[in-house]
Amino acid sequence: MIAELGHLLAFLALATAAAQSYLGLTTGGEAPRRLAVATGTFLALAMLTLVISFVRLDFSVALVAKNSHSLKPIIYRIAGAWGNHEGSMLLWCMIMAGYGGAAALFMRNDRLRDRALGVQGLLTLGSLAYLLFASSPFTRLTDPPLDGGGMNPLLQDPAVALHPPFLYMGYVGMSFVFSLAAAGLINGKIDQDWAKRVRPWALTAWSALTVGIALGAIWAYYELGWGGWWFWDPVENASFMPWLVGAALVHSLIVTEKRGGMAAWTVFLAVLAFCLSLLGTFLVRSGVMTSVHAFATDPTRGLVLLAGLGLAGGAALALFAWRAPKLPAGPEFDPVSREGALVLNNLFLSVGAALVLLGTVTPMVVQWLGEIKAIPPENASLSIGEPYFQLTLAPMVAVLLLFLPLAQAAPWRKADVSPLLKWLAPAAVVAVIAGLLALALGGWGIWLGFGVLVGTWVVVGVGFDLWRRVRPGGFGRVFRLPLTVWGMSIAHIGMGIFVIGATVETAARTERTFPLHSGQTAEMAGWTFEFQGIRSEEGPNYYATVADVKVTHGGTTEIISPEKRFYPVADTSTTEVAIRKTIGGDVYVALGDTIRDEPGVWRLRIAHHPLIDWVFGGAALIAVGGFMSLAARLRRRAPAAAVTASPAVEPSNENAPAGVTA
Amino acid sequence: MKAAFIIALLLQSSAAEAPLSDAAKEARAQGLMRELRCVVCENEPISQSTADIAVDMRRVVRTQIDKGATDSEVRQYFVDRYGQFVSFRPPTDGWGVALWAFPFLLLLGVGGAIGFRMLKARRRDLTPLPDDRGEGMDA
Repeated sequence: MIAELGHLLAFLALATAAAQSYLGLTTGGEAPRRLAVATGTFLALAMLTLVISFVRLDFSVALVAKNSHSLKPIIYRIAGAWGNHEGSMLLWCMIMAGYGGAAALFMRNDRLRDRALGVQGLLTLGSLAYLLFASSPFTRLTDPPLDGGGMNPLLQDPAVALHPPFLYMGYVGMSFVFSLAAAGLINGKIDQDWAKRVRPWALTAWSALTVGIALGAIWAYYELGWGGWWFWDPVENASFMPWLVGAALVHSLIVTEKRGGMAAWTVFLAVLAFCLSLLGTFLVRSGVMTSVHAFATDPTRGLVLLAGLGLAGGAALALFAWRAPKLPAGPEFDPVSREGALVLNNLFLSVGAALVLLGTVTPMVVQWLGEIKAIPPENASLSIGEPYFQLTLAPMVAVLLLFLPLAQAAPWRKADVSPLLKWLAPAAVVAVIAGLLALALGGWGIWLGFGVLVGTWVVVGVGFDLWRRVRPGGFGRVFRLPLTVWGMSIAHIGMGIFVIGATVETAARTERTFPLHSGQTAEMAGWTFEFQGIRSEEGPNYYATVADVKVTHGGTTEIISPEKRFYPVADTSTTEVAIRKTIGGDVYVALGDTIRDEPGVWRLRIAHHPLIDWVFGGAALIAVGGFMSLAARLRRRAPAAAVTASPAVEPSNENAPAGVTA
Repeated sequence: MKAAFIIALLLQSSAAEAPLSDAAKEARAQGLMRELRCVVCENEPISQSTADIAVDMRRVVRTQIDKGATDSEVRQYFVDRYGQFVSFRPPTDGWGVALWAFPFLLLLGVGGAIGFRMLKARRRDLTPLPDDRGEGMDA
């Protein structure tokens, strides 16, 4: 019964979404608002029915039968609802309609909201049609099996259970930014008020995307067992491109909001972010990534996504081409100013997104050219991986970050750099010392030194900028600085910490594989690993082969136990690494295979990942900073809305420090 | 006799995972292992794979580096046998040049155009905008 209820709710949402898009784009007013809330509610309830089916293990629902199993722990039964194509499409629709519903509840009543709800209704309608007619999660089986087929055991992990909801909040959140851009273009009004109202949505989507990507990286590190957290895999790049464009967007929106400038560029980014989200989804879902053949054998999913991308992107770009020439250029500014710095930010981030796109798509295009015999097949295979991105994107980001502390301190319109430089000079000295130290300790690797220098410069420079803002009012001001300043500074410090962690981890990571039999000892970098043997364990839905390894370092001894798990239902093995945390990084032990024809000998892969927590911690701080900026926005809006519904001039902040205008 | 031979071979393959005695050479070898693709895995470098072929490929990398081969000679050795697919580093000759140059040309071209326009339109009489709320860049 419950699956039919979900199916019915989804069809109701289809109807309300259609009405919402029509009324939103024509008459506007109260009707599309209520319809948007209804669409969101229906789809949230539909998702709930699917989750209930998964929790109850209702194997008469085809999706549950295929993707769940009675032995699966309860949390992964819930997560199993979106751990497959159909369920994740329902999640996609629900989040898309959820953004519409939230906007209906929180946005001021005017043409921008109505039309944005209209466009959002169209996008929801398209996604729902695809869900219901091409990949319905509610299909019943006439002859239900006694037990389910299980889920890909690699996905049985807390980080990856939460990864899709956050990733989709980011990916799909860009859809509402897109709708606001389209609505603004239809209205012909992309101004300061527009930017002010878009920014909370862009911040929500981008911060959620940051969390989603970070969770994916953490999962790769802990679960895949190869010790990496980012591999420039096409799946990863697919989420990284909208992240880069989203980062450019949350910065350019500041210029549009505060100064009314860069309006056309900002709205273009708003359109582009969602188009790249769709492109990413296309690359991941169509199977085009692993092989051009995979796409050819089951082209429906891919073609539908490609058509959606073409329709949405094409329409928005046509709108853009029509309206953009008439958008005002905004007030003048000197190249050396905060506006100038933000232009630089946008230049680097968008070139970065373009190069990631090129590096991701080129191997697929080359393979396709080989398939159609446009180039000789022996030339038609190409891999673009870490070396390419490390030598192109990494230096670009490093150069951009050199400007960050200055940009954060620079005033609008025109900046006098010399007092800023004088103020930041100690930070530069600290950064140079840190860079030289890294060079000396790390065997004179030039990139290592430069990365540490840049990261330190960002962290300490932002710290000095905070001090500059706090100083005039004494230490008590620390608690009275606007939340926006904290949001920005924490995100930027997070970026610096991430850069230090990522360069050190990449340059100084050591890994080795040891073939060991019980009782044998391996040594690496002052650590001793004694392989004490293998034992078997049984989990709720797997059998584990557990190795006990006695780790000795500087007098302390600990036994850690990496595992290999075999999931009989899915007939798949996974690796559970064992990690010993230290202040300087992780000691990471993964149990490999036995060696051919050599009984009792196992491969242990032992690695040291220095400063790995800085990588994840930095990413977390970036997201925290984004959410703090969002909170500041929501908090500030509340009293203004109580006084008047008009876009009032924001009250000047009485806590503003005197004399910090540089 | 045959058994002894097999055991010797196996011992050799196990021992081959030992690092090179020259630390600089070992570092170079490990760098190469990170950018060569395990040809039977989904998307993994040989440094991280536990597959048997990755073990063999690692051994070849170490042997060649030990014999004095340059990094590009080792890369070429694998590309000749498995195709360009085996190297995560795209080629730096032929059309590969365009691939490597593209990001920098784009940055220089677009950045140059924007910079040129901004400098041409630059006015000397602009003053810093007073920061009434003390927020600095409002993020």
